[in-house]
Amino acid sequence: MPRLVLDQVSVCYDGQARPAVERASIDVASGDFVVLVGRSGCGKTSLLNVAAGLVKPAGGSVTVDGTPIIAPDADRAVVFQNDALFPWLTARENVAFALRLRGVRPSERERRADALLALVKLEGSGERRIWELSGGMRQRVGLARALAAEPQFLLLDEPLGALDALTRERMQTTLLDIWKASRVAVLMVTHGIEEALVLGTRIVVLAPGPGRVVRTFETGFSRRYLAGEPLRDIKADPAFAAARGELTDAIFEGEAA
Amino acid sequence: MTISSYAERPSRKLDETDTVSVPRPSRKRATISARFVSALTILSVLGVWALSALLQLVSPVFLPSPAAVWSKFMAVASDGFVDATLLQHIAASLWRVFAALVAAVLVGVPVGLAIGISTVGRGIFDPLLEFLRPIPPLAYLPLVIIWFGIGEPSKILVIAIAMLAPVALSTASGVRGVSQERINAARSLGATRGQVVRYVILPSALPSILTGQRIALGVGWSTLVAAELVAATRGLGFMIQSAAQFLVTDVVVMGILVIAAIAFVLEFAIRRIERALVPWAGRE
Repeated sequence: MPRLVLDQVSVCYDGQARPAVERASIDVASGDFVVLVGRSGCGKTSLLNVAAGLVKPAGGSVTVDGTPIIAPDADRAVVFQNDALFPWLTARENVAFALRLRGVRPSERERRADALLALVKLEGSGERRIWELSGGMRQRVGLARALAAEPQFLLLDEPLGALDALTRERMQTTLLDIWKASRVAVLMVTHGIEEALVLGTRIVVLAPGPGRVVRTFETGFSRRYLAGEPLRDIKADPAFAAARGELTDAIFEGEAA
Repeated sequence: MTISSYAERPSRKLDETDTVSVPRPSRKRATISARFVSALTILSVLGVWALSALLQLVSPVFLPSPAAVWSKFMAVASDGFVDATLLQHIAASLWRVFAALVAAVLVGVPVGLAIGISTVGRGIFDPLLEFLRPIPPLAYLPLVIIWFGIGEPSKILVIAIAMLAPVALSTASGVRGVSQERINAARSLGATRGQVVRYVILPSALPSILTGQRIALGVGWSTLVAAELVAATRGLGFMIQSAAQFLVTDVVVMGILVIAAIAFVLEFAIRRIERALVPWAGRE
């Protein structure tokens, strides 16, 4: 069972006296949907980039099944906040990008890309250009592109941050459906407290100055959704409201009022 | 084309708000387009030119009349000037400019890539380009002749050297402008360094690379006359120079206008090519 472990990780950026992250430990195994939340400057994105291999930690270790991570790899595909799609390619070619890198035959590439576009509910949009797509559609193409790499870990950096509230809600259920279908382990950064509760199996709360882990919650709302309970009912559950209050307190704990 | 349409749009918008909120009497002035003003300017210049020739304010040796230039154009087009027709002169010059462009792109794009991608590349090529860039073609022309003789390669080389800096520097700035997020996305999808360059950096920089070629073409035309100074028997620059030696001013003026017209057409064509090749530019 693949397991991504960040152990006592510190991150320092050039020219900054204080470390961005200090001794943070996060553990993501397959079946997990781990969500990182916290106020601005708590190092959420830094930790995600360390997990991706895009940023080298100043201290601590990052390993997948005990093997240290030294560079980015398709094993840990990232979806960025600003989709980072390639505008010179069609939606289908964007999705097939990882397959093209591996030298997969064009016909096979197309078949698999179309299957993934269908998975993110974009069937029939393969020929469209990126700039013709709405923000929500672009994020779904970005998601499909990451899934095409057949990663063991999906790293999501506020993928829904730029979307409007309605689109975001629809994308949350899409994310959960994909997570269920592919059983990929997810590590996600978000600003949204409710989003963290809806999606996560574990919520890691970070605090800034320097960024560090202050609390970890185990939650079961996303599993309830996958078991068939409508999202509206889950959100109306008093337990959800209580968890939201507790999580909000944890996030803003220690902040000067 | 693009410039005038940019100028038109806001003026129309201004007009709409005018009618909604504060209808002013000077509405008509706001609807004058830049293109209209440009046409008016060109017509006035032609008018002043024709009038001064008609009234013989200046000797025809200094300024031949538009009619004289036009008839010379027809004459050179059919009978030629110094052993070649106008079309042959144009063909010779176009060949030199485009051969130089191909050479400048073959060298300049990889150099620009190297500058944009690697510190070592920047360290090597930046000072060389900065050294080369401000030198006028007439200054290195003698050296090129001493080294490579007076044949066709020297002429193409002189133009290509002048084109090199704009091609390389535009490429470099395009490469540096590639979004880090896009590169990171490709790397996290398993792209090697070489694949990142080929599949992400090059296409991202393509708009800048094309802009560099547009600038280079302009530079090429302005270098053409210098390149054709030596031992040319054909070419627009050569035609103008030999006409100047015999004070055939109407051919000089005609040659200048032909070069301007060709440069205009090329500029228009390459803008169309840009739109076809990089339709995403400015739409992301």
